[in-house]
Amino acid sequence: MSDKKSAVLLCTCGKQLGLSFDLLESELKKNNLTTSVTVEDLVCQEEGLAKIASLLAENEGRLVIAACTSQKIQPRIIQYLKDRGIDGTQIQYVNIREHSAWVHSDVDEATKKSLDMIRGTLARSATSVQLVPETKEIGNHVSVIGGGIAGIEAALSLSNLGYHVTLMEISDQLGGHVKHLPLVAPTGKSGVEILSGRLESVEKDSKITILTKTKVKFVTGEMGDFTIHYTAEDNTSELTLKTSAVVMAMGFKEFEPIGMEEYRYGKNPDVITQFQLSRMLTEGTLARPSDGGAVKEVVMVQCVGSRSEDYKRDCSKICCTFAIDNSLEILKQIPDAKVRVVYMDIRVPFENELVYKESREVGVDYIRGRISMVWEQEGKTRVKIYDSLMDEYLEVPSDLLVLSTAILPPDGVFALSETLGYAIEDDGHIKELYGKLRRNETRRRGVVAVGAVTRPQFVSESITDAQAGALILHNELQGGKIQAIMRGAVLNVDDCVGCSLCAQQCPRGVPLMIEQIDAEEESEDQKILFKAAIDTLNCHSCGVCQSLCPSGATQLNFLSNNQMWSEIEATLEGAGADNPVTLCFYCEECAVSTIDIAGTLKMEYPASTRLIPVPCAGRVSIIDILKAFEGGASSVMIAACETDRCHVGGTGNEIAQVQVDVARDILNAIGWKGERVDMFRMFSAEPERFTTAISEMVRRAREFGPTPVHTGTAGKWMEVGK
Amino acid sequence: MSNPVLIIGAGVAGMTAAVELADSGIKTVLVERLSTTGGNALNLYKAFPTDDCFYCFEGNRWRPGIRKCFYRSALTEQPNIDLKMNSQVEEISGLPGNFSVKLDIGPQYVDPKKCTMCGLCIEKSKAFSLVSPQCQPQAVVYDPEIEDTGTTSAAEECPTKAINLDAKSTKKIISVSDIVIATGYHEMQPVNVDEYGYGTHPNIITQLELARILDPLGETKGVLLRPSDGKPAKRVMMVQCVGSRDENYYAYCSKICCVFALKHAAILTQDHEDVEVSVVYMDIRTYDRYEKYYRDTRNAGVEYIRGRVSRIEPQDDGSLDIIVFDSLLNKYLKFSVDIFVLSSALEPSAGSSQIISSLGLKSASGFIGAINPETEVVVGNRIYACGSALGPSEVPESVTQARAVVSKILQSKE
Repeated sequence: MSDKKSAVLLCTCGKQLGLSFDLLESELKKNNLTTSVTVEDLVCQEEGLAKIASLLAENEGRLVIAACTSQKIQPRIIQYLKDRGIDGTQIQYVNIREHSAWVHSDVDEATKKSLDMIRGTLARSATSVQLVPETKEIGNHVSVIGGGIAGIEAALSLSNLGYHVTLMEISDQLGGHVKHLPLVAPTGKSGVEILSGRLESVEKDSKITILTKTKVKFVTGEMGDFTIHYTAEDNTSELTLKTSAVVMAMGFKEFEPIGMEEYRYGKNPDVITQFQLSRMLTEGTLARPSDGGAVKEVVMVQCVGSRSEDYKRDCSKICCTFAIDNSLEILKQIPDAKVRVVYMDIRVPFENELVYKESREVGVDYIRGRISMVWEQEGKTRVKIYDSLMDEYLEVPSDLLVLSTAILPPDGVFALSETLGYAIEDDGHIKELYGKLRRNETRRRGVVAVGAVTRPQFVSESITDAQAGALILHNELQGGKIQAIMRGAVLNVDDCVGCSLCAQQCPRGVPLMIEQIDAEEESEDQKILFKAAIDTLNCHSCGVCQSLCPSGATQLNFLSNNQMWSEIEATLEGAGADNPVTLCFYCEECAVSTIDIAGTLKMEYPASTRLIPVPCAGRVSIIDILKAFEGGASSVMIAACETDRCHVGGTGNEIAQVQVDVARDILNAIGWKGERVDMFRMFSAEPERFTTAISEMVRRAREFGPTPVHTGTAGKWMEVGK
Repeated sequence: MSNPVLIIGAGVAGMTAAVELADSGIKTVLVERLSTTGGNALNLYKAFPTDDCFYCFEGNRWRPGIRKCFYRSALTEQPNIDLKMNSQVEEISGLPGNFSVKLDIGPQYVDPKKCTMCGLCIEKSKAFSLVSPQCQPQAVVYDPEIEDTGTTSAAEECPTKAINLDAKSTKKIISVSDIVIATGYHEMQPVNVDEYGYGTHPNIITQLELARILDPLGETKGVLLRPSDGKPAKRVMMVQCVGSRDENYYAYCSKICCVFALKHAAILTQDHEDVEVSVVYMDIRTYDRYEKYYRDTRNAGVEYIRGRVSRIEPQDDGSLDIIVFDSLLNKYLKFSVDIFVLSSALEPSAGSSQIISSLGLKSASGFIGAINPETEVVVGNRIYACGSALGPSEVPESVTQARAVVSKILQSKE
């Protein structure tokens, strides 16, 4: 595409910025990619916004705005233009305030830096394309896998939001674990009481189809067009269901302590799990399983399999409350029973503490310690307990020994992940997209996880989760008519070589590999059996696919390879041995905010730095890094989110790390200093992470001196491989 | 035009609810008592469980990226959000769907849409300041209590004429369809808990105060210094359940103080050099995956002592001698520490009881109680609550609850 010229709008921030605007104006007017240069005092105020509108009209939408952080002014500008029906999708922003004037007290240096970055952005603008709104019609049907409390609530919420729902349950009835709970703290209700109204609503709801005895085998497709393959009751053959989104609500599995010899579970019938006790209490069948005898002495053991290096390392959260609920129920049914709870720490959040207190008041005995031995003597079960507070052993009889076993992920979570594409936590539960803010979203778009399938949860938490999960899908599906601006990765299928790197590495699982039916007909060495397909409307615009694509087939439509490379080249104009420049690619998630906050705090760092924004660090390819050196950079850095905290989906920054590592290996292999490129993780609470990092890269630029490009001893990159 | 939704409190929960509703085309009035949004999170430095900062919440759906820091959340730029800073709800009457709400709207000395944070006024007068680089709205604040010769010229020379020194507070009555209570929590000032001596010695502080010390954006720039004399602190003792699980104060467990304390213990042992940390506790309550903080800090050498603090003896050198009864060893132990940190109870924020009584809601130990506890966000007829207004909550829970509230509101409108 031929280079187009853009207008430049410079903001003086009310004449408060320490930059030479006269110099910027005169220099930029000489640039052959500019149509006009306008200096405004306040781009963010009414007059400035009006100027933006007129410049867009005069320049076919091509405008470079050099002002404060786009993170702040862009929303205002978008809103202003949206109200007037003006397209602003091609506007490019340069931050000359937080990223330049506020952090470099030397006006000349700051002006020079600003000029270089504006020049680079003009080059980016030169081949920008307009982003257009797109509409996609999809079925307004959602499938909920799992018919426990979370699944039921999700189905009801989605139905209320206007969706048709299929609720799929593997057992013969809805209700999951909750229907067997005699008492659910802190509600004071039984599980059945909590469920009954909801079950009635689900059954009456004409938009909800209930499938019991249904097992989901695998799922194909993507958001808006999933196909669920399942087997149903009395029918071994496989059935399919078209659906637009999936709610994972498969609940949890209670740990079976078969391997734990010390408790004699599975050997002694009077040793049971807490959930087995719940069922007895709910069904009114509380008795010794061995002989049907009366239950008078009960010993409960907490943390069986939880907080254990051998089984589950973490706490299962709900078992303490679970044990207390059951203790209270035992005492209600058998007032003269003796209940002892052996624990390490009693963990009852908020008002559950009051239930704990109540249980102590009615006589439940809490013993901090561990079980040291369980054995049978004359047909009776006996338990030896070590009390760590009294530092003594006590031996008690036990009609029932109840094990509060760990809460584990349900069966089938891993198997479905292979086709549904969500990630799995170390503990086997479904992994959230981002631990702080995106708990119900999974890595895969159109798949949410609610309730205990994500982590052990109380009933109330599962219900809240389900309501929130329904909202997330509603936001995505928009009632079946998805309207969005086409901004993201666009695949040119003719260029695809079928390597599947994009499909494997996309943080959100968007690219699909599609079988090429006609491929067989081509000659043997030409045929590509599978090629990628990308639905841009499903794309999160990180650019990982682009940085990995060996053939340039997939590129972000707002930051193509050509845009990036010409920006790198233009930014680095004038960089050289006498003018060593450190180029920093920064992600527009955590890195931009760290750099902005460093700016707001006016934290000084060297002005020999030039910054280029990317949506995610994962957008930066090895080629981009090498292009920077080719263009004359002395050192190159990538500023990214903290390890494991990539905000685009968890892996963009790790992809970037790989690119940096490989770029380094290449540099070392051809006799450069590999340390000229590096990657740094940061977040805005610690702005000095950025200033320290970039100062280090400036130091390296100085220490290593001129690069082979500067000294003229380097071949062009294209020739290296030959 | 239907009535907007009222959201009381612009912490993480309230902001999430506002942005979600706004993106769904529902108008909201977001009322915040203070001059910046963000609530407690703004002062908490590193977040759990992600160990990055506390300053973000989900951004608008129409903006790229999956979350936005407070400073770039653009709450003032959204036509569907009417942000009322320095404001309070005085009275609520009327019926569900058409509540009548009397607002006390604080004086708007600085117009947040005009302020560019250029810094001119701050240079001219001490009465102007930036609360935090992460503040939202991104604007300076004016303190009329500080008299200064520079204020008038600051106002006159402001490039955008954003400053109005004569601004007055106003009253306004609005009609709203639904109410979302997101008033958060307050860290109890343990002044009355005599045994811990809070307020009697500068080196006895709360966890929130410790967060400010650890924060690189705070006064000490993240260096651990003794408040008494500014000398480096090397020995820190924390005590859990101050005012929580205590019939004299709050009988409930404040739920997040353990992980809060352990997060600080982790920062102190991992990011600082040669700092010794001990934690005095009754039960360590690190639920679910938070157990990691317990494992990691024990491995990092944090000493956990099950027991109670029995005496504090200030020493002449600024240190504190602490006598602890260790209930596992069944004996008294003596420690010398530089900073003694109280994990103080998290209590309902001011005004919670008034909201409960004026709207006839249930109380959960002073926090807002749900109609049916299993449906935690529905607290009345077209009245919802989310976040720590319902009881101490972590950020992820607050966000999920805020989304559940929006889900319920949209469900009621479908």
